[in-house]
Amino acid sequence: MSSQQPPILERILFTEEQIQQRIKEVAAEISEKYRDRNLKLIGVLKGSVFFLTALAREISIPVKIDFLAISSFANSVGTPGLVRIAKDLDEGIEGEDVLLVEDIVDTGFTSRYLLQTLAGRGPNSLAICTLLDRTPRRIVQVPVEFRCFEIPDRFVIGFGLDYKQLYRNLGYIAVMKPA
Amino acid sequence: MGLITVSGEPGSHHEEVARLTAQRLQFELVNDSRLSAMIAEEFGADAGLPDRAWRHVAAHILARLATEHHLVVAAPGAELLFRNFPNWLRVEVVAPEPRRVGALMIDRGLERAAARQSLGELETARRQERKRRFGRVTAPATLFDITLNSEALDSEQMAALLEEAARIRGVLEQGLLSSSAAAQIQFQIRLQLARHGIAPAGKASLKRNQFSHPSEEIFANLLDFYRIAWEYEPHSFPIQWDREGKVLEAFTPDFYLPEFDMHVELTTMKQSLVTRKNHKIKLLKTIYPQVNIQVFYQKDFQNLIFKHGLAERAAQL
Repeated sequence: MSSQQPPILERILFTEEQIQQRIKEVAAEISEKYRDRNLKLIGVLKGSVFFLTALAREISIPVKIDFLAISSFANSVGTPGLVRIAKDLDEGIEGEDVLLVEDIVDTGFTSRYLLQTLAGRGPNSLAICTLLDRTPRRIVQVPVEFRCFEIPDRFVIGFGLDYKQLYRNLGYIAVMKPA
Repeated sequence: MGLITVSGEPGSHHEEVARLTAQRLQFELVNDSRLSAMIAEEFGADAGLPDRAWRHVAAHILARLATEHHLVVAAPGAELLFRNFPNWLRVEVVAPEPRRVGALMIDRGLERAAARQSLGELETARRQERKRRFGRVTAPATLFDITLNSEALDSEQMAALLEEAARIRGVLEQGLLSSSAAAQIQFQIRLQLARHGIAPAGKASLKRNQFSHPSEEIFANLLDFYRIAWEYEPHSFPIQWDREGKVLEAFTPDFYLPEFDMHVELTTMKQSLVTRKNHKIKLLKTIYPQVNIQVFYQKDFQNLIFKHGLAERAAQL
């Protein structure tokens, strides 16, 4: 994407270099922890795609990769209904050590639903690796074992995170101007 | 009247099935925590009720509520609360051990081996409680009208099946429990309670959710969407008393999330106006350090709804 900053940005929170460096560090932790285990990275579409790809390339042990997606509250018509799996995993996870890879964890609502769903499928272990962790907004406690950055309670975009489906392809993470 | 009781083993997510069923049928949900709160309201928080009186205490409250509401009850041993109750659907949710172990892995942040051990401990505790309250450890299959296995069915599908079962059974066409039927049931229950020296006061009631601000309804919708159980303003905490011990001021958080034992307070007023509320919350935390409360300020709430694509609705608040 063009290096010119979109006008909706207030400031860059993490540069591309900072992100890459931190991903390398977290990937080393993951490689150490899951040595001699059956690690599977599960990415949550669409936000985690950029992070999962960068992370997987830095992990030094063999990993499997799969993706899932959930329905969106915003897309619900009328009464909001219930969150459900919109795109399921291609393969089972029984006996595997699953690392759910998220772009951001804030309230923990989404993560909890996904963990509950995956837990019923017999994985050996289940944990979360997130690019961004917005702990001030946490309501549901979820096991975030690996995090790249803790962030303040601001709306951020870039490196997979969107605003109205745009700006995922920014190489950096930026704070949006208040509405 | 409509009465559906939903029972299940630890980790079977039977409470979620009960909640979704109640939503579908527009029945009132009475879960374990809500029932405990009503028992405390009826008999006092420190009443020290004997275990053997529990079923009668619970049945007494539920029979009275059933004259005003259709109910879905999810409390341990709910299938044993009544005898010969009209139009009652007794449901059991079972789940294979791996699924129940998985549920505990998430709920308690455990790895599989630790979760398996924890499940064993929970099952033992549940059996002991059942023995104390009902004099029996297990629930034979004949105690249930419907048994659902969550191995192949998720909670939403099970709730849909129960909605249909309620229709087939004619639960929806029946009116509320008549006063005379309730009086008959209450008479029997009062006789049982008298043996324990207990006289019910008839105070406990179900409070309907009437949100005082549209933001609360949006938040409730979000919780529903993510299948998170919630109660609206169920607890009030006194924070100021006069010299005689009379409560001068109490604080009532907007939401209680029983699965996480957490209260949530939404503050959608401007930051400059929240000082007084912050003072109250600080007092609450000092007086009740065990109370877990999360405050959502205007900015937090705006970001939350922004993320969920609800900014346009929020702008109308």
